[in-house]
Amino acid sequence: MQNNPPIISLKNVHKYFGDFHALRNINLDVEEGQKIVVCGPSGSGKSTMIRCVNGLEQHDEGTIMVNGHTMSSDEKIGNLIRQEVGMVFQSFNLFPHMKVLDNLTMAQRMVRQKTKAEARDTGMKLLERVGIAAQADKFPSQLSGGQQQRVAIARALCMNPKVMLFDEPTSALDPEMISEVLDVMTELARDGMTMICVTHEMGFARSVADRIVFMDQGEIVETGEPETFFANPAHARTRAFLDQIISH
Amino acid sequence: MQEVMNWSDEFLAGTFVIIKLFFISLVMVITWGLLGATAKLSNSRIARGIANGFTVLCRGTPEFLLLLIVYFGSAVTLTSIARAINPEIRFLDIPPFWAGAFAISLVIGAYATETFRGAFLGIDKGYIEAAKALGMTRFQVFWKLRVPMMWRLALPGFGNHLLSLLKDTALVSVIGVEGILFTAQQASSVNHKPFTMYLTVAFIFLALSTVIVVTMKCVEKYAYRHLEAAR
Amino acid sequence: MTFESSLILESLPRLMDGLWVTLRLFVLALTCGTVLAVGMVLLRISSRKYLSWPVMAYIYVFRGTPILVQLFVIYYGLPQLEFIRTGPLWPFFREPFFCAWFALTLNIGAYTTEIFRGGILGVNKGLLEASKALGMTYAQTFRKVTAPIAFKLCLPAYSNEMISVLKATALASTVTIFDVTGVARKIVAETFAPYEIFLSAAIIYLILAWIIQNGVRLLERRISRYAN
Repeated sequence: MQNNPPIISLKNVHKYFGDFHALRNINLDVEEGQKIVVCGPSGSGKSTMIRCVNGLEQHDEGTIMVNGHTMSSDEKIGNLIRQEVGMVFQSFNLFPHMKVLDNLTMAQRMVRQKTKAEARDTGMKLLERVGIAAQADKFPSQLSGGQQQRVAIARALCMNPKVMLFDEPTSALDPEMISEVLDVMTELARDGMTMICVTHEMGFARSVADRIVFMDQGEIVETGEPETFFANPAHARTRAFLDQIISH
Repeated sequence: MQEVMNWSDEFLAGTFVIIKLFFISLVMVITWGLLGATAKLSNSRIARGIANGFTVLCRGTPEFLLLLIVYFGSAVTLTSIARAINPEIRFLDIPPFWAGAFAISLVIGAYATETFRGAFLGIDKGYIEAAKALGMTRFQVFWKLRVPMMWRLALPGFGNHLLSLLKDTALVSVIGVEGILFTAQQASSVNHKPFTMYLTVAFIFLALSTVIVVTMKCVEKYAYRHLEAAR
Repeated sequence: MTFESSLILESLPRLMDGLWVTLRLFVLALTCGTVLAVGMVLLRISSRKYLSWPVMAYIYVFRGTPILVQLFVIYYGLPQLEFIRTGPLWPFFREPFFCAWFALTLNIGAYTTEIFRGGILGVNKGLLEASKALGMTYAQTFRKVTAPIAFKLCLPAYSNEMISVLKATALASTVTIFDVTGVARKIVAETFAPYEIFLSAAIIYLILAWIIQNGVRLLERRISRYAN
C-alpha cells in the first residue's frame, strides 16, 4: 500500500487571513483510493484546508502537491489541478439560470472539449447514477435540497476527477434529506474514489473513512483510523469535541 | 381631434425620429455602461479614476445642460477648426441628432455603469467558485457565468434606465431635432392649439413608455423563468 | 479657440442670481412634492381600489412622460383653455415660475409616492405582527413602527430623487426662467463661449448635488445609530 506516491500531499502548509492564522503547519498525505474525513469545531480551518487543495484559497507557506503538480498562484497550474479535482459545496452552487443537465454539460464542453452529444451522454449516465435522471430538464430551484446536492455531485463527477473534495455537503440540508446524499457518497467511496470529506456525520465517517483527521484552531490535532479514533482519542480536545457531537 | 389629424404625418415622422434616437443612444448606453463598469472593477487606478469622474460628472450635471455643452461646445470647436483652414466658413456643427444621441447616452450610460457594476458585484461568489472547481478558465467563467448572471441582476434597474432614456429624447427638440415635441411647437404656432398639441406629445410618450414597460415584463419573465418554475 | 477664464469671473455674479432662482424652485417644489407624496402614499397603499387606483393612474402618467412635455402642457398649453384664462387661477398659471414649480411638484409627488411605498413594503412583517400582538392599532403601528423604519429605508432612493429634481430644475429655462441654466444660455447667446459658461454652470450643479448627497448621508448615519 505504501509504495505509491500520495496523490495529495500537504507539507508545512500555513495560511493567514490578515492577522488570523487560519492554517498552522498542516501535514497530510492522501494516497489514491483513500477516504479521509476531516472533522472539528467550526472555524477550525477544515474548509480552508480543502479549499487550498484545489486552489480556491492560496496558501501562504509550505507546499501542496496534487496529482504530481505543485500548487502555485499561477492560474494555469491551478486550473490544471482543478480539472482533476472535483468539489462539492455546502450550498450546492448549482448555476441557477441553467437547467440541471446544462449544469452537467457546460464544463465538460468548455474544459474537456467534448461534443454536445458526448457531454449529454455522460451527464445523463451520472444523473442516473445519483438517481435523478427524471429531473434533467428542470431548473435547480425546482429541486429539493437533497436532489440539488446530488446534482452537484454528478456535476463534479462529469469531469471524471481523480479526487473528490466535499465541503460539509449535508450541513445545509433538512434532516430527512441527509441520508440520500450520504448514500451517494458511500457508493462513490465503495467504487474506489479518492475522497476528502469535511463533515460532521460521524456515522458516515465510521463506516467509510480510512482515516479521520481532527482539526482545531487551524492545526491537525490528531489523525487515526475510525476504530481507534472513536474508541480511544489521544487528545483531550478530540474527546471534548466527540462528547459534544455524540451527546446530540 | 381634427387639429391632431391635420398634423398626423408630422407627428408620425417625429415619433420615428425619437424611436431612432432611442435605439442609437441605447447602443451607446450599453457600450458606456459596460466600459464604465469594467473600468470601475479593474485593478488599474487610472481606469477607476476616469470611470469615477465620468459617473460623477454625468450624473450630477442636468441632462439638459450636458446636451447644450455637447452641442454648442462641439459646434464652437468645429467652427474654429474649420476657420483655421478656410476663413470663409461662418458656422459648422455636428448634426443635432447625433449630438443629442451622444449627450443622452452619456447621462444614461453613467447610470448604467453603476447598475452593471452593482450587478457584477452582486453575483454570488459560490457559483464562481463552483465553476473554478470544475477547471473552467477565468475567460470561460466570465462569458458563461458572470455575463449571464450579471444581466439578470441588472435587468430591473436597466428597465428604469430605458424609460429615462426614452423621456430624455424629448430634450433634443430644444437643439432643433425634429422629434414630436418639435412638431408640437411648430403645429401650435400655426393652429394656436398648444394644449391639444402638447397633450398629444404626452400621449405618444405614454404609449411608448407602456411598450417599454410591457417589453421589460416579458424579458424579465424569460430571464427569471428558472425562479418562476419553482413556485 | 481659447479658454477665457476672465469671462467666467465676469459672469459669476449673474450665475449667482440664477443660483438663487434654482434654489428657490428646488426647495419649494421638493417640499410641496414630498408633502403631496405623503398624502398620496396613504391612498396608494389602501386596500380600497377607488382610493388606490386614481393614485396609480397619476403615478403612471407622470412617470411615463417627460417633465419637459408636462411643463409645456402646463405653461404653453393651459392658456388655450377658456376656463383657465378666465378662472381665478389665471394670475398663477400666467407665471412661468409658478408653472415650473407646479410641474415639478406633481412630478416629485409621483416619484416619491413610489419611493415611500417601497419603504413601507420593505418593513419587516414580523415587526408589524409583534406590535399587533402588543395590542396596538393599525394607525398606532403605522406611526410608531412602520413610518420611522420605512423612512430610513427610503432615504437612499429619496436622495437620488432629490438630485434628479435638482437636475430637472434646469428645464425651467425653457419657459423663460433665468435659473442657473437660463442665465448660462443667455450669456452664451451674448458671448458665444459655451465651454466657459456652461461648464461653470455644470460645476454649480455638481457642488449642489455633492452637498445633497453628503447631507443625506450624514442624516442617514445619524438615524441608523441603532443598526450597529
